[in-house]
Amino acid sequence: MENLLNLAPALLFLAVLLYISYWVQQQSSEARSSNFVKDYFIGGRSLGGFVLAMTTVATYSSVSTFVGGPGVAWQIGYGWLYMAIVQMVVIFLVMGVFGKKISLIAREIDAVTVIDIIRARYKSDALANMAAIFIVAFFCATMVAQFVGAAKLFEAVTGYSYMTGLTMFGIIVVIYTTIGGFKGVAITDAICAIAMMIGMAILFYCLLDKAGGYSAIMAHFRANDPAMLEPLSRGKMPVSLYISQWLLVGVCTLALPQSVVRSISYKDTKALRNAIIIGTIVIGVVTIIATWVGVLCKGVLTNPDLAAYGGSVDNIMPRTIISVMSPFWAGVVIIGPIAATISTVSSLLLTSSSSIIKDVYMRHLEKSGKSLSNEGVKRLSMIFTILLGFGIYLISIAPPSVIWKINMFAFGGLETAFFWVMIFGLFWHKANSTGAICAMAGGVAAYCITMAMGFKVMSLHQITIGITTSLLFFFIGNAMGKMPDMDTLKLFFPDKYED
Amino acid sequence: MKRSEQFRQANREAKTTVLATIVVILFWIAAGFGLADSDIVLFDTPIWVIGGCIVSWFFAVVVAWWLAEYVIKDVDMKEDSTVKGGGK
Repeated sequence: MENLLNLAPALLFLAVLLYISYWVQQQSSEARSSNFVKDYFIGGRSLGGFVLAMTTVATYSSVSTFVGGPGVAWQIGYGWLYMAIVQMVVIFLVMGVFGKKISLIAREIDAVTVIDIIRARYKSDALANMAAIFIVAFFCATMVAQFVGAAKLFEAVTGYSYMTGLTMFGIIVVIYTTIGGFKGVAITDAICAIAMMIGMAILFYCLLDKAGGYSAIMAHFRANDPAMLEPLSRGKMPVSLYISQWLLVGVCTLALPQSVVRSISYKDTKALRNAIIIGTIVIGVVTIIATWVGVLCKGVLTNPDLAAYGGSVDNIMPRTIISVMSPFWAGVVIIGPIAATISTVSSLLLTSSSSIIKDVYMRHLEKSGKSLSNEGVKRLSMIFTILLGFGIYLISIAPPSVIWKINMFAFGGLETAFFWVMIFGLFWHKANSTGAICAMAGGVAAYCITMAMGFKVMSLHQITIGITTSLLFFFIGNAMGKMPDMDTLKLFFPDKYED
Repeated sequence: MKRSEQFRQANREAKTTVLATIVVILFWIAAGFGLADSDIVLFDTPIWVIGGCIVSWFFAVVVAWWLAEYVIKDVDMKEDSTVKGGGK
């Protein structure tokens, strides 16, 4: 296995990404010298429809789209594909609901982060700081999990060590995120999304080829494993799991800060409209191919006992790749999951960095009457991004168990924290800061506690508890708080307060 | 378009998007679970898989296209006030 040929495709791919973000940096040097924050953290609001769609999909599709998800599909069958396709709504949902309104407001107040919007709406530093803490904590845990997942896959497929893989793409993603900023991240994300589709299409083809064609696999299912062909998979895929997933990876992703921030980065409404169509097509392609591969590889890895494959569904994809293709093609296909990983990490890294530098530190300076020169902001932002990135890399070498605990809470925790705060903030003029603080703190606490205890209601995922508690806390807190001031109301609800 | 009018339009678009999402969910249920008991097999694949996964996705793309073409209206986004470097 150990030969340079199967390392070459991924190395070449990473080199291209590195060059692109260097190019973006050169192109942006003028914009950055006049307003660094706006160019670096939001790309100067210049994204077109194609890049906007691709970066949103690429940020959203992570290593679990390519490893964890297909692994479970191997176990459950078509039911898992049927469930996974719920993600087809997430792009038009976030862009259709928030896309235009957030952009109108962001241009008014020159917002570059989601927290800027939240601060302007609720006028509360406590809320903004809490939001920043949740973003950084949950994002960091997610980034570590992404790195570890991809490095393990890399090790299993190429035969090179975990450290080789981690160092290779870990260091490169940190560097290209730091120099490229938001625009660099967006363009590299677009390339990553294309790489994901190509990689999975090759795998799909080789898998069918190896298994003797699609009909042969389906005949195998009918004869030996009919549960694979039923939506409820003979009890392995209960309706409650469908509902949980609809909420967790479907509807509730609406308010994820890494998605919403993309709604303040586009150039004009034409870009938004194009992105809605392209994004819905691309997320469908990525989800269907990756998950379908997971279902069909049961035709190659036919032992129904997971123990035969090391006892973890995460081993299913690497073993499939190794058994259906030559080392060189395995080296090409591995680019797909690596692309999914680094495109998620790059976006989360930049958002974390903006939360600390822009939302907490610069705000703190501003309040104490100090300000930073453009050059100072530039130096600080880039140094912080690279340090945070290297920190994530170092933690991923030997991740402490607490990281896994935080990561387990991360996706649902972020959804719980931001869902009502964003929806009510933008669409309910009476929502106030007391309500928002109660909703964010109470919802996340309820979610994390019930997750930790394993407590469920009607066997639904704890996201239902988090979202419901958050809603109740919002109403209770809101009843105790004061109406927002007139300036805020005019800014966010001109349809009601200005005519 | 006046700012208040732009926001009224954005609210309408948000509401329509939510309704469209509900319609897609209902379609997904009907085309998947609704066909689960059928014995029809197309291209070696049970009909509910084709309906629930492939056709539902096509349907979502059509809905996204409809939103983009007919629901979401272009507005002139004002370019934000140029500010001096250093944030807000």
